[in-house]
Amino acid sequence: MSVPQIDSIRMPDRVAMNATKPRRFTRVPVPFALVALTLIVYGLVVCWSATSNDPDFDFKRQLIGVALGLVCMVFFYRFDYRHFANMTTILLVINVVLILSPHLPIIGVEAKGAQSWIKIGMQVQPGEFAKVTVVLFAASLLARYGGTLDDAREYAKVVGLLLVPFLCIMTQPDLGTGLVYLFISAVVLVMGGAKPKYLFITLGLFVLAIVAVFAIDEVIMSNTGEYKLLKQYQRNRLLVFLSPDANTSAEGYNLAQAKIAIGSGGLFGKGLTQGTQSSLGFLPEAPTDFVFCVLAEELGFVGAMALIGLYVALVAISVGIARASDDLFGMLIVCAIVGMWLFQILENIGMCCGLMPITGIPLPFVSYGSSFMVVNFCMLGLIGSVWSHDSALGRKGSYGA
Amino acid sequence: MFEAIVTGLIAAVAVVIIVAVGIALWNNRRTPKAGQVKAVKQLDTVGVGTSPFERHSAALSNKSGEVHVTHSGHGSVRKPADSLRSRFVALGVLAGAIFGSLTVKLYSLQVLSASDYASDAEDNLYSNVRTPAPRGYICDSQGVPIVKNRTSQTVLADPDVVDDRDVMRRLSVVLGIPASIVRQRIQDSSAGAQSKRVVASDVRLRDVAFIAEHADAFPGVSVESRAVRDYPYGALAAHLLGYTGLPSKEQLDVEVEGREILSTDYVGKSGVESTYDNLLAGDHGHRRVTVDVLGNVLDVVSETQPVKGSDVYLTVDSRVQYVADKTLAELIAPEGVLGEGTGVGGAVFVMDVTDGSVIALSSYPTFEPEQFTGSIPTDVWNLYTDELAHAPLNNRVINGLFAAASTYKSFTSIAALDYGFADFESEWNCKGYWDGFKTGSVQRCWDHSGHGKLDLHEGIVNSCDVVFYEIAKAFFDHGPDGTGEVSATAIQDVLAKYRLDQTTGIDLAGESRGRIPTPEWKADHWRDYPAEAVWRGGDYTNMIIGQGDVLVTPIEIAVAYGAIATGRIMKPHLLKEVRNAAGDVVVTYEPEVVAEPDVNPDYLSFVRSALRGVITDNASTAKNFEKYGLEAAGKSGTAEHVDKGDDAWFVAYAPYNDPKYVVSVVIEQGGGGSAIAGPIAAKVLGAAMDVYTEKSEVSPRRLAGYSGKAVEYKTQSAERTD
Repeated sequence: MSVPQIDSIRMPDRVAMNATKPRRFTRVPVPFALVALTLIVYGLVVCWSATSNDPDFDFKRQLIGVALGLVCMVFFYRFDYRHFANMTTILLVINVVLILSPHLPIIGVEAKGAQSWIKIGMQVQPGEFAKVTVVLFAASLLARYGGTLDDAREYAKVVGLLLVPFLCIMTQPDLGTGLVYLFISAVVLVMGGAKPKYLFITLGLFVLAIVAVFAIDEVIMSNTGEYKLLKQYQRNRLLVFLSPDANTSAEGYNLAQAKIAIGSGGLFGKGLTQGTQSSLGFLPEAPTDFVFCVLAEELGFVGAMALIGLYVALVAISVGIARASDDLFGMLIVCAIVGMWLFQILENIGMCCGLMPITGIPLPFVSYGSSFMVVNFCMLGLIGSVWSHDSALGRKGSYGA
Repeated sequence: MFEAIVTGLIAAVAVVIIVAVGIALWNNRRTPKAGQVKAVKQLDTVGVGTSPFERHSAALSNKSGEVHVTHSGHGSVRKPADSLRSRFVALGVLAGAIFGSLTVKLYSLQVLSASDYASDAEDNLYSNVRTPAPRGYICDSQGVPIVKNRTSQTVLADPDVVDDRDVMRRLSVVLGIPASIVRQRIQDSSAGAQSKRVVASDVRLRDVAFIAEHADAFPGVSVESRAVRDYPYGALAAHLLGYTGLPSKEQLDVEVEGREILSTDYVGKSGVESTYDNLLAGDHGHRRVTVDVLGNVLDVVSETQPVKGSDVYLTVDSRVQYVADKTLAELIAPEGVLGEGTGVGGAVFVMDVTDGSVIALSSYPTFEPEQFTGSIPTDVWNLYTDELAHAPLNNRVINGLFAAASTYKSFTSIAALDYGFADFESEWNCKGYWDGFKTGSVQRCWDHSGHGKLDLHEGIVNSCDVVFYEIAKAFFDHGPDGTGEVSATAIQDVLAKYRLDQTTGIDLAGESRGRIPTPEWKADHWRDYPAEAVWRGGDYTNMIIGQGDVLVTPIEIAVAYGAIATGRIMKPHLLKEVRNAAGDVVVTYEPEVVAEPDVNPDYLSFVRSALRGVITDNASTAKNFEKYGLEAAGKSGTAEHVDKGDDAWFVAYAPYNDPKYVVSVVIEQGGGGSAIAGPIAAKVLGAAMDVYTEKSEVSPRRLAGYSGKAVEYKTQSAERTD
């Protein structure tokens, strides 16, 4: 791999770092921490309510996820994120290994038609953890261009490299997580200063690729009698999205029940654990993909707005941290994380209320699932790291100058 | 309480957001200052170490060497974000659009359409369960219930239990049924592919309790307490009562005012159960319950009790019915095996000639309605559909079509008198054979030795065929092929007055109508064989003695003889009255005169006296009827068949001078009318008169249905002994 390295990013050696311990190292970004804490507690309350009536889910596992997440968060927070800056190649290798690991013979586990899980003591989804490394990989890749990427060949190379994690995850296959990777990459491309013309061309090609997938699938269908590229449930989800009332498939049922749950919550909701749609099993996958419906049903529009408000605050403060960052790499990390959250929030809440097609993307800080909980804590740690190592970065800027 | 906690929680969230955003804004405001401070501080920490990354990146950068830091000239306070300001704006717009659209959508769902979705959620949550209503009883004219209800503990299994060997083995052990039978019953999809399968009915309560207590060990198995039909007298009156079963698709689709049929309900399939199904069926109870997604009932919100159906009281007297059923069974299948007795089937019908009330309606071979509740067991079905079983489900009284034989002579003699081809003094000479048409093919009287000289009265009493052949010849000679004075359907017109080609209108489904052959019918029937389609003299002689193409049902003959006895054709009916669940009479049947045949009263009384002579002037018949103290009038008949035994007929009414009851008896392939059917007619008529005069000592007991066992029937006699 040949990636141009930028000399504007220079890492202080260990001696220098120890000598110049960041000023804010022992402090925390108060508003950010406050919002994150509230969000975590709020999410846990909703998750507890969603799992309370379902013996298939153990709320303790979510708490274990939080505990592990706290450890990871502290690690990332105290770790100087700049160590990752020049690890682009290593990050890419880690990504590929992580995402492909469920294909390994002994630890790989197949569930629900996808090779997405590995079993190491407990069952985890490496594709979720890879979101952290995808963020770091994408940010480090773009950071090399110092905020201006207007060379076509370089741009093509960057896009090609950014597609690697997506292609890897599609071997499982896990389209939902793959879309998250793509969105992270897209945000990093935009925020990393790629030329708008290229961005629009890429978008056009992306649309063409989607059309091509459907077209090729039709050809395959007419020759072999079955769709190969897109699975039937994926087609159903799209059909349900396009005509929610006409469809009676399982996916149509899911969407209808999700909307009933949200709508019946009304302004103030039915009260925690009192949601009939979720507790009596009408709502499928209530604690995981459709956890927002539980919240909306039990806490109503007010509760839903509280969550949206918390997300707005989290995103706003994170973007503030990104803007305040002296370092392009740090800024891109924060933007990538914000992009990931934005996409997951849009897709998850959107699919619950019929704005988006159904995909299995969890809701940050709320959905049941310890892997993603740990990932979110890592993200919080990374943002904190960018914030806390901010002052020390002035050097880079001056170095560049 | 709960609301307060939620409100507090949300308020806390709101406060946190406000504080956080406030602090964030405050920090932003101070950022420029901080940046300056940083810029100053940064200066003294400049220095690039020799980190491991350094060499690597330097090497690469040397290689490509074309990447430049664009903002290097802009002073130390410049942040990377500053040159990408527009992109931050884009990110902000994106975030704003996402949160904005989600908020709008949620507002429309949760505030604007909340009530719609709330009612959808209630539809999910609440479910209306219909509880089955018991059917009404069916009672005889004395109020004795002959069809009741009882509860039956029924063990049901989902169809897929058949895949679970363990569950089937447990069921087999608990219920004491061989595992292979359990499997067979679960595989039986006759009640519908998706329906639960009945593994066992009438299960002991302790076994039911065991299954209920160990529900985990019996997934897919459920126990229901069902109200099923109970028949205290077994097969008594099986054909007229009919049986119940799960509704057919057509029955489910039919919409009847005030009636709701569920696929789990029992509905009448035949007989009175079917005719008065809407009266017998009760009103479902309604139960509003909360359910989870699997349909498990969590809580009962409200409940209305089911209302039992109305009780139907029949005109039938169970004592007479019992005598009729029992007598037929003992004659035809004395040991329960068809083919070992006399005849292969039989019908007895008793009617009150004054108002058309049906006193007894019996058909053999019979069945036990209880066996047919739910679904018909395969083994019984196989036996009953065998040719040797002679169709036990057929109600021979209303749909058994037989040649009327000499019972026709009462009506054809009225035709003879009517058209003047015979009068009270006419005389004929019977030599035992007859060849009036000079065709060379001699027709014989049943008495081959000949009756000698007789008038019409003696002709009827002795059932002399030659007398009627002569009358037929007279009709033929004056008909279209002769002088043309009378129409080709002169005899048929008189027969039609007695509605021998019409259904009687009894309140039972599936009634057949008899056939009076006419030239027109024959032409149509043989339209493909023009040579056979010609109406000949032989058709006259056959028809006048009720042979050939003549067909009647036992009920038609009985109703027509009732009309000879009284002058009125009554509509036979089974319904006496209907009482609702509270015991009040809500419907009472009003007798209905169908027609009063326009016949000269003198001819009528002539025929009556001849019919009286049939009873009194034949020694053995007279003895049969005297045995029961009956002053009866009647007529025998023996329907000849070329390829099988003769059908024995006897129709009679009593008392002769003040008719009350008419009885018709047919024994299919039974032999001679007087010898075989006569005694039965006498016995049943006697039983009816005993009931009428309140001297009856019969107490009905449980009757077994026909077992389905049969051997080939050896025809006893092909000789007529009218």
